[in-house]
Amino acid sequence: MLNKFKYSNFSAFLLVLLSLWLIYSCSPTAKDNKALPSDKHQPHNVYGQTGMVVAAHPLAAKAGLDMLQNGGNAVDAAVATAFALNAAEPFASGIGGGGFMVIYLAKEKKVTVINFREKAPSGAFPEMFKIGGESSVELRREHGLSVAVPGALAGWNYALNKYGTKNLNDVIKKAVDIAEQGFELSDTFSKINKDEYEKLLKNSGEESNYLNDGFPYEPGDVFRNPELANTFKSIASNGIEEFYQGDIAKKIVKAIQDLGGILSFEDLSSFQPIEQEPIKGTYEDYTLYSIAPPGSGGLHIIQLLNIIENWPVQKWGFNSAAYIHHLSEAFRFVFADRARYLGDPEFVSIPVSPLLSKKYGARIAQQINPNRSLHNYPYGEFDEKDNDKESTTHLCVRDKEGNIVSLTQSINHFFGSGIIPQGTGFLLNNHMDDFSRDPESANAPRLNRRPVSSMGPLIVFKDNEPVLVLGSPGGTRIFPSLTQIIINIFNFKMNLDEAIEAPRFFSYSVSGEPRNIYLESRISFEVRQTLESMGHTLTIREDYDNYFGGAQGLMILPRKRGMHGGADSRRDGYGAGY
Amino acid sequence: MKKTHFSIFMLFLAFILLITDPLSPKEFPQFKQPVLITSAGQSAEVQLASVLAKRAGLNYSLSKTATSRDLADVKTIALVIGTSLKGLGAAGLDMSQENERVSSLIKATQQFNIPILCLHLGGEQRRGTLSDQMIKTVLPFAQHVIVVKSGNKDGLFTEICNTHSIPLIEVERAADALEPLKNAFL
Repeated sequence: MLNKFKYSNFSAFLLVLLSLWLIYSCSPTAKDNKALPSDKHQPHNVYGQTGMVVAAHPLAAKAGLDMLQNGGNAVDAAVATAFALNAAEPFASGIGGGGFMVIYLAKEKKVTVINFREKAPSGAFPEMFKIGGESSVELRREHGLSVAVPGALAGWNYALNKYGTKNLNDVIKKAVDIAEQGFELSDTFSKINKDEYEKLLKNSGEESNYLNDGFPYEPGDVFRNPELANTFKSIASNGIEEFYQGDIAKKIVKAIQDLGGILSFEDLSSFQPIEQEPIKGTYEDYTLYSIAPPGSGGLHIIQLLNIIENWPVQKWGFNSAAYIHHLSEAFRFVFADRARYLGDPEFVSIPVSPLLSKKYGARIAQQINPNRSLHNYPYGEFDEKDNDKESTTHLCVRDKEGNIVSLTQSINHFFGSGIIPQGTGFLLNNHMDDFSRDPESANAPRLNRRPVSSMGPLIVFKDNEPVLVLGSPGGTRIFPSLTQIIINIFNFKMNLDEAIEAPRFFSYSVSGEPRNIYLESRISFEVRQTLESMGHTLTIREDYDNYFGGAQGLMILPRKRGMHGGADSRRDGYGAGY
Repeated sequence: MKKTHFSIFMLFLAFILLITDPLSPKEFPQFKQPVLITSAGQSAEVQLASVLAKRAGLNYSLSKTATSRDLADVKTIALVIGTSLKGLGAAGLDMSQENERVSSLIKATQQFNIPILCLHLGGEQRRGTLSDQMIKTVLPFAQHVIVVKSGNKDGLFTEICNTHSIPLIEVERAADALEPLKNAFL
């Protein structure tokens, strides 16, 4: 009896030991939280058990993580990260811009969207960029007229007040530190600084704080922005009214009007963000939630997935010629719909439901010739009654309660318009360039309209539980790139960061005519040759080219095993978990 | 007598050293103004060269897409090398059109005996297949080259300059090109 008891005790002990070993060996912590690989392009998932922030700069991700660890929820951390990005990656986003935020509230199992996209000034009109009958690129991108009413600060503040637990002062602190103490510039920052040098010289002069004694910053130089730190302190003390109605507002209006713009004090003081219903679609067993128009990214990702569902992509193989050909053709059809229908849903009716229907996806899939480029990509025709009014850095946050934020925001081109309101240290957007050049377009510039955006922050669910959070900057490449990442994960079974780092391609159409396929040079020579033989013209880009965006993602592992973060090495993406 | 011989020998030695010293400023050609600054590859560094020329007090003009028609009265061409797809797109050019423009321009400078000063100011970040192709095409025609050191890590500029006996100056960062640029026009 005693022997039997001892034996059973020993067995139980062994069982516990075995279980402990199994738990340890299967824990993602053990194998995933290795030091960062020396090659920044080497796929590397970061691991977090409780919470995580993935953003386009390490200092920003750490600012968000710090907020989570100090009791903030996902919204608090997202706003802290957004402020920190303005300090650490000022060329891509900030209070001079706008964007969209998808929020998942775990307790209520509810998804909501905050639209803080910029608006056209009240003096905007369809022909406002024309000189001698031609649309002027300079007016659209590097002029006072290029600046739309910034919405970022109003959007962050709205989210914080409604869904956060902290105040502005709390979420702004880390950003102030980054701006005051400075940091060593990366290759990415320096290269972009050099690329946009001419615009900065033109609109903010050799004395610009985004130049180093009048020259672009070199990698390793320390970049400080005390003027931005002071702006943040002033907002923390006086609230966002300082920006929309106070001294900062006056400086914004002056800077824009001095350079020929029309944005007025009233345009700023009347700006309001909007809370919207998300749009929803399905792909295989997954349900996707993203932003509704004027954000077009979510809608087009769902459209593309509806088309791709009809094809044996796994059989074709990852980045095979057949795969790239079919997807490029699909991109071109989607761009035709985008140009025809997308606009600000407050002013134009958009056939969202028919565009998102599986039937329409299948119809496009059938039109694509498996062997040849079509050379003509008409937009879809829908009954008028089907129209409805439903309606660039990315960061992802998940907190310990399971709340999630997927946020994409931008100042449009790198360094935006290049205009810096006197003494404020932040850049103003050039998002007026996102309006159509065609004065008859649904997306022509008109008073108070929001320009169509390609942004597509999204959250993917399976069996009503979130499994993937994803988004990217990259202009019109955003939704084609995000679609490829989704297929990489769900069809080609890549892990998150592998899927993000994998070679990308892009194509589009203008007025129904195809444009080149743009490919990262890692796509093989044989595949390129086959594509050319199918009638495509190719443009080869760099190995890892930020032309295709800089995606950030967060994947929630099954059975409460924590989460993986994937950050894009095409920029300075970084994930931080705990 | 011995003393005189020794003095002559020392003088001769000094002369030989002077003419063979690879770092002697006299080795570097002197350029004349006005200067036309243009790009070879449409990278943003052409603008950087323009700011350097302004700070150096040079009489210069800037034309990113200069052709032989812009050479009237020009005494020196400053060719800023570096290929940027973004810059090419903004200029409405593709790579073959840019190659054609630069080749024609070089041909015209030879015809009019206008010396070329080449600048590569983008460092390591402005290297790569397309930029390297441009460097190899353009550099042999230069009379003088100024390069940001990190752009010459692999010795490509040194190799081409040695082969064609072109004086080369390396600077740590783009802003440091100011002094050599001034000196080139003394």
